[in-house]
Amino acid sequence: MSEVDMPVIKPGMMKPYIWLQTSDGSTQQVEQEVAMFCPAICYEVIQNGMGSSKNYAISLPKRVNPAMLSLILDYCRFHQVPGRSNKERKSFDEKFIRMDTKRLCELTSVADNLQLKPLVDLSSRALARIIEGKNPEEIREIFHLPDDLTEEEKLEPLRNMTDDPRIRLLNRLYAKKRKELKERERLKNVQVEEEHIDERSVDDLLSFINGKNEDLKGVKTSKSKKKNRRRRDEEKNSSLNEASETNGKESNGYDFVSQSPEADGFQHRSGETSNVQDMEDDSFSHRVECDDGDIYDEIDPALKEIIDREVEDFARRLNSDWPERMQEILSAGQERMAMQSTINGTGSLRQHACPDLEHK
Amino acid sequence: MGDFSGADLISDLPQSIIESILTRLPIRDAIRMSILSSKWRYKWTTLTQLVFDEKCVTLTNDGAAVLKSLLNFITRVLFLHQGPIHKFQVWTSYLQSCPDIDQWILFLSRNDIKELALELGEGEWFRVPSCLYKCKKLTRLELFRCELEPPLTFKGFVSLKSLNLHQVLVAPDVIENIICSCPLLESLSLSYFDSLALNIRAPNLKYLYLEGEFKDIWLEDTPLLVDMSVAMYMTDDIAEHFEQSSSCNFVKCLGGVPQLERLSGHIYFSKYLSIGNDPGILPLTYNHLKTIELNQVSFEDMKEILVVLYLITSSPNLVELQISGSSNTPAATDVPDLEFWEKKGPSDCLFKRLKVVKITDMSGVTHEMGFMKFLLGSSPVLEVMSITPCVYVLEAQLNILIELVRFRRASSQAEIVFCSD
Repeated sequence: MSEVDMPVIKPGMMKPYIWLQTSDGSTQQVEQEVAMFCPAICYEVIQNGMGSSKNYAISLPKRVNPAMLSLILDYCRFHQVPGRSNKERKSFDEKFIRMDTKRLCELTSVADNLQLKPLVDLSSRALARIIEGKNPEEIREIFHLPDDLTEEEKLEPLRNMTDDPRIRLLNRLYAKKRKELKERERLKNVQVEEEHIDERSVDDLLSFINGKNEDLKGVKTSKSKKKNRRRRDEEKNSSLNEASETNGKESNGYDFVSQSPEADGFQHRSGETSNVQDMEDDSFSHRVECDDGDIYDEIDPALKEIIDREVEDFARRLNSDWPERMQEILSAGQERMAMQSTINGTGSLRQHACPDLEHK
Repeated sequence: MGDFSGADLISDLPQSIIESILTRLPIRDAIRMSILSSKWRYKWTTLTQLVFDEKCVTLTNDGAAVLKSLLNFITRVLFLHQGPIHKFQVWTSYLQSCPDIDQWILFLSRNDIKELALELGEGEWFRVPSCLYKCKKLTRLELFRCELEPPLTFKGFVSLKSLNLHQVLVAPDVIENIICSCPLLESLSLSYFDSLALNIRAPNLKYLYLEGEFKDIWLEDTPLLVDMSVAMYMTDDIAEHFEQSSSCNFVKCLGGVPQLERLSGHIYFSKYLSIGNDPGILPLTYNHLKTIELNQVSFEDMKEILVVLYLITSSPNLVELQISGSSNTPAATDVPDLEFWEKKGPSDCLFKRLKVVKITDMSGVTHEMGFMKFLLGSSPVLEVMSITPCVYVLEAQLNILIELVRFRRASSQAEIVFCSD
């Protein structure tokens, strides 16, 4: 081994110590039998001869800060004593593991780095106990998880996956379309010029809707009028930062719409769709709460008709020639992505509207 | 999205830890984690341990509906799963024999299955498909209410360490073949077999658990056996068979287990051992045997008493002894040999390590009392002897106590605890 003095193995000396260096650079001495309980440290001492002096302190993996180290050493200090009964060890473990979740996660990670399997098991069990029986919102809150799945993806995977893969693709396209429409609507929402066209389209839309569904007539009217007014007010306040940001994008929005190969159906409805967005907003918020299978029923009829037509289109094309159509659809999506990036490289809003092909 | 101020605490932990956490959750909870965030969507799909029970599905009174949803759930989980599956366990009485199970086993056989446990409920027994015998990596197999019929080309599970068959229909020679063709077998448990004459050749066997109507138990090659528990039930055929048997059962059963540390016998085990020639001449010693538990020993049958005596005197390191008497056997018409216990004076043998003795179901017959006297007089380090009389003989309790008090104790530390309920 190395030629430095090795107090750790000289018999008859005072209690031997091992030097450890934590992530912040500071070093400390630890009793040998305590530190050697840790397989990773043990390895360093025996295989590499480290830890015998301050200069040769064993540098611990980077997540091991002094606080974590002291926790780990407490654990080791208790458990390395051979005479303890199982009951004692168990009750120590139960008390030891009581800490806030953040520290518990850190502890698990650190214990794994140091290869302390019993401690990893103990903390995994504690984490599992925290997770068990809680609903998703609670779990997300405890662990600070981002809620970044779309509603479609939140459908229990177990339900979707038994379907035909074509239907699965249709569902994904459905979801993509909805997302796009939503984003497009939101964009147009903040555009000033849109106002006039919107007004006109309300009546158009109403008559269209009335033709479809008598019941909703009154409701929709009042709602859309309210929303229009609200939108106008918001703009005047210019509280929406997006207004200033996206003003320059309006024309791009139009270009975007017209150039999209699959959005043929949208062109002459572009004005209307902005109002459709009102209903859509309602129905979207509805949808988020409602149960999974009812999603498609809640979409307002106009949008549904648009989507239905698209889907029929897709279905027809899919049935004709599967692999080629797959390619076509995917490449169409990619083209659109390319187009969008050329139109406007910046702006988070735009990026949200991009179909996320990887995210399947 | 992102209204939480803190950074994600958990999603970036190494996969081994995530798996460690997820396997400690009931499987339904683990799968539900997939809707938490994009990183968690597929974390569960690589779990190598899948354990299912009736908590996976909503329970209703309609057993068929529960079964259907259970089958659906498990099939879909398997379909979505990625990667190897090392442990697969379905342990619920709702499970019934159906083709889905065949497909699961086929899927598992292609995915490196190592531990497989299937419990079926009451109903038709499940005939195990041939693909099970192709699971080369199987280390643990547990089957409940199944039928095993391996093909003739089956050469055994080369990696199997633990085999547990409970109410499994399998031909006797087949089961023997399976046992001896699994060279690594360490733990064997067979329960509720009918009229099985079992010959066990398993050089690595350490744990043996047998329960059922066994005609014969011959541990031909089990040198490493450490823990053994046998519960033998009796039928008329077996009783007849016992009468006609000429071989020495004690030697057949306990002749080749020098490493034995724990022996536990129930119901007719001691009777089984008593049949055959007197093993008194054979110098068997169980140096590691520390715990003996023999239940339903009939103290009216001299042969059984001799078996017990032989056993405990051949175990110099015995620490704990549990004997329970049997008041149900037809009383022997022989006059009990009262001199027997006098002859066995304390100088004959000493139980130098015996610390704990528990005697239950005592009816106070002569030989029981003699036995207790013998133990008390020969156990210098005895700490506790607890005696529980049989519930049917309330009147005799006082007599037992009176006699008990007179017995000499070799150990000054010995406590006699008389438990009367």
